[in-house]
Amino acid sequence: MSKNPSNLKNIDRLIHEPTRLMIMTQLYVVESADFLFLQNQLQLTPGNLSAHLSKLEEADYVEIVKEFIERKPHTALKLTKKGRHAFQEYQQNLKQVFSDFPKKSRKDTRTP
Amino acid sequence: MNVKTSLRAVEKKTYMSYHQDGLVDIFVGVYVLLFSLGIFLRTVEDFSTWFVIPAIFPAVMVPIWVSVKKRITMPRIGYVKIGARSATKLMAVFIGLTVAGLGTFMVFSFASSQGWVLTVRNLIISNGMIIIGITAIAISSLFAYTMGLNRLYAYGLLALALFLAGQFIALQFEYILLTIGLAVIINGFILLIGFIRKYPLQQGDQTNVEKSL
Repeated sequence: MSKNPSNLKNIDRLIHEPTRLMIMTQLYVVESADFLFLQNQLQLTPGNLSAHLSKLEEADYVEIVKEFIERKPHTALKLTKKGRHAFQEYQQNLKQVFSDFPKKSRKDTRTP
Repeated sequence: MNVKTSLRAVEKKTYMSYHQDGLVDIFVGVYVLLFSLGIFLRTVEDFSTWFVIPAIFPAVMVPIWVSVKKRITMPRIGYVKIGARSATKLMAVFIGLTVAGLGTFMVFSFASSQGWVLTVRNLIISNGMIIIGITAIAISSLFAYTMGLNRLYAYGLLALALFLAGQFIALQFEYILLTIGLAVIINGFILLIGFIRKYPLQQGDQTNVEKSL
């Protein structure tokens, strides 16, 4: 990849938003989690979490599975294959952007 | 911090959050207490099958454990299915410990009466409490590291201190087990009460939003 600020354009903006990044990270390290678990782990309000999950579901990054566990309704959330791939790509792109930066800024290298 | 490290930190935090309810402590404490009870029975009533109770405990307690988790933990912090990697790591520790345990058993049971095996066996017998203490801290540290539960290090240290004391001031084995079991159970209940207070049962708002998804 060339040393070009346009690399930033490759960053997936849907994932880059901090709350959605937290949701994606949390779901990336587990097989699935339910709404309450995500809410507790990420310290989000139900409305906020729901809004971000809807956006991720629209992009087909998150799968929302409605099921019954012991006759009680249960909502399981997990990353889709597309979502998992998008998250890995996001990691790679972000790493690339920072590795393209010079090691020291101009200010740091200035002699007194 | 690189990406892998921070992902591992999230994974560890997730795993830890599932064991902050103290249930693991209560069940481990009860297991240790059953061992001590078995030894008491052997001493008082010549109960030769003293090891039967702790041996059948896991089979009896696993369904109870699952049921308690469903009733206490999941309604409060939600449900998570941990990835296969963590489960595999824990399984590897269990298998390793079982193999080590069987190896030790073989040394004690079938070792010939000559050679280095006998020397090792005599060394183990004469320093029994120290060996058990070191084994206890090694096993608890292994689980503490694998599961990310730092309090298991403290239990290991407690066991080591008590078994060392047992070696030098002749404390009886069953009393040491009783003390460790009670300490772990009490801490488990303290954690459980704290967990129930920290995470009250949620109704209404969250459930309605969840249904709208």
